[in-house]
Amino acid sequence: MALKSTREAAMLAIQELAREDEKIVIVSPDAVAAARATKFREEFPDRVIEVGIAEQDAVDLAAGLATTGMKPIVVSYAGFLTMRACEMIRTFIAYPGLNVKLIGLNGGMLGGEREGVTHQFYEDIGILRSMPGVKIITPADGQQAYFAAKAMMEQEGPCYLRLGSGREPEVFPDGTPFTFGKVREVKNYGNDVAIFASGFIMDRAIAALDELHEAGINGTLVDVSTIKPMDSEGVAAVLSRCGCAVTVEDHNIYGALGDAICEVACRLNPCRVLRVGLQDKYPRSGKAAELLDAYGLAVKDIVAAAREAMK
Amino acid sequence: MTVEELSRIANRLRLDVVETVHLAGDGHPGPCMSIADIMAVLFFEEMKLDPANPRWPERDRFVLSKGHACPILYAALARKGYFPLEELKGLRSLGSFLQGHPDMNKIPGVDTVSGSLGNGVAIGLGMALGCRMQGIENYVYAIVGDGEEEEGIIWEAAMAAAKFKAGNLIVFADLNNHQSGGKVTELSSLYPVADKWNAFHWHVQEIDGHDITQIQAAIAEAKKVTDKPSLIACKTVKGKNIPYMEDNNAWHKRVPTDEEVEIAREALKDKI
Repeated sequence: MALKSTREAAMLAIQELAREDEKIVIVSPDAVAAARATKFREEFPDRVIEVGIAEQDAVDLAAGLATTGMKPIVVSYAGFLTMRACEMIRTFIAYPGLNVKLIGLNGGMLGGEREGVTHQFYEDIGILRSMPGVKIITPADGQQAYFAAKAMMEQEGPCYLRLGSGREPEVFPDGTPFTFGKVREVKNYGNDVAIFASGFIMDRAIAALDELHEAGINGTLVDVSTIKPMDSEGVAAVLSRCGCAVTVEDHNIYGALGDAICEVACRLNPCRVLRVGLQDKYPRSGKAAELLDAYGLAVKDIVAAAREAMK
Repeated sequence: MTVEELSRIANRLRLDVVETVHLAGDGHPGPCMSIADIMAVLFFEEMKLDPANPRWPERDRFVLSKGHACPILYAALARKGYFPLEELKGLRSLGSFLQGHPDMNKIPGVDTVSGSLGNGVAIGLGMALGCRMQGIENYVYAIVGDGEEEEGIIWEAAMAAAKFKAGNLIVFADLNNHQSGGKVTELSSLYPVADKWNAFHWHVQEIDGHDITQIQAAIAEAKKVTDKPSLIACKTVKGKNIPYMEDNNAWHKRVPTDEEVEIAREALKDKI
């Protein structure tokens, strides 16, 4: 499947679903282009509600739509959506459990790269994970995003889909399954160390796993594409086999994948877990690959963390 | 229903609020009194509702944006038959479904969560557009306080509602010039309120929010305007008709004593 990015892929899936379900509408705070929803708008001009640059209004308006039985999807940059409209998501969507879907664009350092800190979003998952009732999906590449968007629309109630900015590489072969709420083993060289990765840094996790393998360390790479609800049993089974783990995510190390895996480890299978991600600091502008390398997400960082976890 | 009957209902709701907050030992009575007449007209004359079927899709919708005034919403719902009157005394108690601020899933007849200020216009607009997209011919009514119009999202929603020509959205602005911390005119530069809604391309009327006839006429006029959302700017008195509460912001959130409940009963006994 030729899908250029997670944004194109997710919107293609939503456009297909919209042909079958006229209650699906997009609510946009000036994010139609960013969400790659221009084709959707051409096909369904009356089903894109453009409110202008007003994320709070977009979220509340979507809540109102949902009370009438519509199925709104709010699209916006991940941080403007989850930070600017944080309270609206929590109080008017999550609390009443309304059927509103949220798509956060340009997630992570990778999503904002040269724009700088204002447009890099590494808090979104942590914010939403702390809200009862919000499901969170973080597909690894375009093809996964296509299926993730379809899976999201099958969920009843609030659900957040984290997408990228077009720089995310395709990492999985055609036909790779996507199962909501389940972790999936990507590669299994052995049980020396578990690497849990989430989102569009999967290529780096794969490279690290392979590098470790070449050095005689045989680990298992697990794609955690649903952050909430967490597949605790699936995670615990891998932890139990490997006995130590590394988490890899383009997010601050607090609040998202790293914490979620640590929670499972504490509860079900105590073991050492090291978190690779943004190390609780603000990065700066830079080209995507250089930026990730400079701020804790280099392949060598994952490799080093794996070696350290095994000690 | 006659004007006098609606006025008596408004006062009945006011006394319900005094008694409810007294029994519950918590709540915001003052902000309820300024909207009592609007509530009476909406719930006992104007709105298309079915208390036996609270989620009837064709119904009119109601958004109490100033959600802290929910004791009067709960009183109106109880007297409409959504739930027994005796439930009112459970307000804010753990075993009761009557939450401190409106909850759309726990309380029959409540169409949206509210209480975090400033959100009612945006939510009401979503309801209005959702109904319109599904061919439902109804109205969405919202009541916003004046203090909460200091919130930026009010004006985000005001812009959007005008853009979408939401003629089925009718918003009452309860202009009692009080907010939690004092006079609105001292805390902000919100006034004159009507000018701002005019500037945002709404259909605007200014009325006495305690004059039943003016409220009725304003709604009728608002319904004639199909290509603009309507704002009915209501001059009101916080604590209206409860002698010790009138224009006294100490009653924004305060519990009446036994004696104060009696004073309210006495003041309203011939008006109910």
